[in-house]
Amino acid sequence: MSEQTGATAPRPTNGARNPYLPALARVIEVITETPTIKTFRVVLEDEQLMREFTFQPGQVGQLSMFGIGESTFVINSPPTRREYLQFSVMRAGENTTALHALQAGDTIGVRAPLGNSFPYDNMKGKDIVFIGGGIGMAPLRTLLLFMLDNRKDYGKIRLLYGARSPQDMAFSSELPDWLGRSDLECTLTIDREAEGWQHKVGLIPNVLLEMNPDPKNCVAITCGPPIMIKFTLQALEKLKFAPEQIYTTLEKRMKCGIGICGRCNIGGKYVCIDGPVFSMAELRAMPNEL
Amino acid sequence: MSADTVKKFISFDALPGFLARVAETGTVYAPRREGGAVVYRPLKPGDAPELGARPTESCKHVVFPRSETLFSFDLKAERPALTESPEPGPAVVFGALSCDARGFLAFDPVYNGSGTGGSARDTYYLRRRSRTLLVVKACKSALNTCFCNWVGGGPASPQGADVLAVETEQGLVLDILSEQGAAFAESLPAASEAQAGAALAAVKAVEDSLPGAAELSAAPAALASLFSSAEFWKNESAHCLYCGACTYLCPTCYCFNITDESDGLSGVRLRSWDNCMSPLFTLEASGHNPRPNKADRLKNRVGHKFSYYPSLHAGRFSCCGCGRCIKSCPSSVDIRKIVLDAVKEAANV
Amino acid sequence: MSIQDELKSAIKAALPDLSCVIGWGAGPEPLRAAPLFIRGEADLQNFSAGFLSVNNPALYLPALKGSKVGVVAKGCDARSVGQLATETLIIREEVHVIGYPCEGVIDVDKVAAALAGVCEPGEVGALREDGDNVALDTPKGEVRLAKKDIAADKCGRCIFPNAENADVFVGIRRAPTVVEDAYADIAAFEARGTEELKAFWEKEMSRCIRCYACRNACPLCVCRDHCIAASREPHWIGQTDDVPDKLFFQVIHAVHLSGRCTGCGECERACPLGIPVLKLKRALSRRVENLFGYKAGIATGTPPLLTFNIEESTIKERDW
Repeated sequence: MSEQTGATAPRPTNGARNPYLPALARVIEVITETPTIKTFRVVLEDEQLMREFTFQPGQVGQLSMFGIGESTFVINSPPTRREYLQFSVMRAGENTTALHALQAGDTIGVRAPLGNSFPYDNMKGKDIVFIGGGIGMAPLRTLLLFMLDNRKDYGKIRLLYGARSPQDMAFSSELPDWLGRSDLECTLTIDREAEGWQHKVGLIPNVLLEMNPDPKNCVAITCGPPIMIKFTLQALEKLKFAPEQIYTTLEKRMKCGIGICGRCNIGGKYVCIDGPVFSMAELRAMPNEL
Repeated sequence: MSADTVKKFISFDALPGFLARVAETGTVYAPRREGGAVVYRPLKPGDAPELGARPTESCKHVVFPRSETLFSFDLKAERPALTESPEPGPAVVFGALSCDARGFLAFDPVYNGSGTGGSARDTYYLRRRSRTLLVVKACKSALNTCFCNWVGGGPASPQGADVLAVETEQGLVLDILSEQGAAFAESLPAASEAQAGAALAAVKAVEDSLPGAAELSAAPAALASLFSSAEFWKNESAHCLYCGACTYLCPTCYCFNITDESDGLSGVRLRSWDNCMSPLFTLEASGHNPRPNKADRLKNRVGHKFSYYPSLHAGRFSCCGCGRCIKSCPSSVDIRKIVLDAVKEAANV
Repeated sequence: MSIQDELKSAIKAALPDLSCVIGWGAGPEPLRAAPLFIRGEADLQNFSAGFLSVNNPALYLPALKGSKVGVVAKGCDARSVGQLATETLIIREEVHVIGYPCEGVIDVDKVAAALAGVCEPGEVGALREDGDNVALDTPKGEVRLAKKDIAADKCGRCIFPNAENADVFVGIRRAPTVVEDAYADIAAFEARGTEELKAFWEKEMSRCIRCYACRNACPLCVCRDHCIAASREPHWIGQTDDVPDKLFFQVIHAVHLSGRCTGCGECERACPLGIPVLKLKRALSRRVENLFGYKAGIATGTPPLLTFNIEESTIKERDW
């Protein structure tokens, strides 16, 4: 696979093989994260394929439930950890409902990797602020763990992760580790007071302003529900982050995942191949059709 | 039509027999009149193609079927089995319009990966494309809705064609434009000098008869600048029904859906035509829809053809000017008017 | 004053109280008009009503519910308005209906047939109305056709040419067409027998490209954005190119319209492939009229078969 150095770098190729044919994958573990989010760890059944499988943080995959359909999810395990591929799925439609019924040992289809990735090379030597809301933590997780696995390449790393309530916090089994690490400053917040909650209470953009990260030599990476993104971007602007310093990942209804079927375009950009990762500067140059 | 290419001749009387022989080695699709429509049908022995009225639909479905099986799945065994659909056989489209042939040129860079910034190749499209021979029949006149010459085409354009057939009094003069075209016409006699001359004159006559082309070079920037002009798009789309007639008759509209059809433990994954005029096209599972109104969707359709696509494909419009979207629109939406209005509107802003 | 001028005066008089008036204006070619949204007096110069006014402006009304709009209506359009109001899909008081005596509208497919051997309808350079005839400029010279020979089938059995429920009516009322049995053609069609009819629909529906112009052109089909034909959840209709899937939609569409369809024929006119889908609806209308004595768009009160809830509590649907 070609080295990816920017959000707009050409995506990897998959040659002349049938791009619509999924690889079979076995579910090895299902983790119930929240009432609406489950995490699936899968391994490709073809051992050689699994061994040779490479991807970049931020890239996505299409998960198939045969007879139901396919949907797009970010690979939220980092490329540095290769024993399985991890996807976190929020139940919303038909396919995600079917995915939620999966158990360890079941077989699904996977088409991956698809799309571009975070330009982590450009972020080397810089401070990083991750701002994740709800299921939006998934794409950040892959880059966060990747950076932690290559810790010396980056400056100060901060994570602000918010959810509506403590029950809505995904990756809860990992939170103690993230909170305890000396090389990561982890802040958790929920929207409203809850019994026993030891961390922040308040909306993500407000907590971010309180954290007051210095934009100097810093990159902000955010993902979450549209409304949260909107106000987080406003907060980052207030904190004097330039559009080139802000990255986000987009979601659209997708089918082919390879830039052909035509539905995930924003003007001339296709979220499935030109994204899902975009800098704020790139988004500003695109039509406003999110 | 060039005077230098090899030209063959076939009389109208000999045509059905000749096509029947071709059909022994592959499917021959040709225009046939059915009810009030003219559609491309697999030709049965003895059938004559309809060469008088222009086909209602384009011939894109020969290469890009309305619905095709990507693979079938069988979940009965412990390990699911996926089976790819079989290779298609060879096909000939006899009597495609020159705009139809040019339509595939808009598909190609998207489906072969050359124009999508990567190299994901659509194997299903490409294998049909490479096995389909296009015999274009030159038009003898323009319809009110035709505008091929606005977008780089013409009534007898050779672009994308393997053979260009020109009607003369006694029969068709076949201009051979590719190796496959030569093989197709191998058994036919060469056109006489008089026949070839008559064909050249016919082509010149129709080309000369065309009304002048509108200037569209300002369209891509104009449409991009009007993206947020809600009022403009509301007015342009007011009478649109947002059905899919325009997109499904269009030789260049290439969008599709992928869905599964299952009867429990076995089924198929289908790729079927889809269109950006449908509200479901972009409706997300959360209920959010980036294009909730027909104005948003018509804007995308026109924008894609005359602004986004050209920005990705060296300035080429994703429109071949066949005018079917205008001719068959139940509510008389005219894409020419929208593009020209946009150019005018953008100049005024 | 000509009917055109009278209509323009009526529109002009009504415009100040309305967000727009929907009528007809010049279309993309001489044989076709286009629906026209008149928002100001300047738009009136493009207005004309007559033999080319085929589109049913009532189609646009449900989406405009909540604002006051006007429609210029043929008799059949007015029936759609009446039916929409009866079903509370529009609020009748919000719609200002300007009626005129309709003399029938053109069927371009019939023009195509009449011009066979001369040219395609798309080559006609101009159309001039001349009383009961039209004169067409073709590449081979002028062709004169009688309007009655190229008018839509529905016009030949029209019992409602005058927009009886209009708020304003201009011109002199026309007498309805007297036909002994408006459904005689359907009765004859049905008499063909199962095998022949099966083959008929097999052939006709094989041309269907699933564009849903029929559905979207139907003024009474108001759930078009949430159509069973596109629904994935539940998955009602397959996405194949096969006749059973295509006919399945047509049959459901016809059943949803039984006793509601006013026979405006827009479904069939809209079909780019010329599939005679109105037959299915008229076959059901015939039965409802016979069984319940209910003529949609003329009778008032709940249509006899309209007993379903908009949202069925027992069927799992997306949360709208």
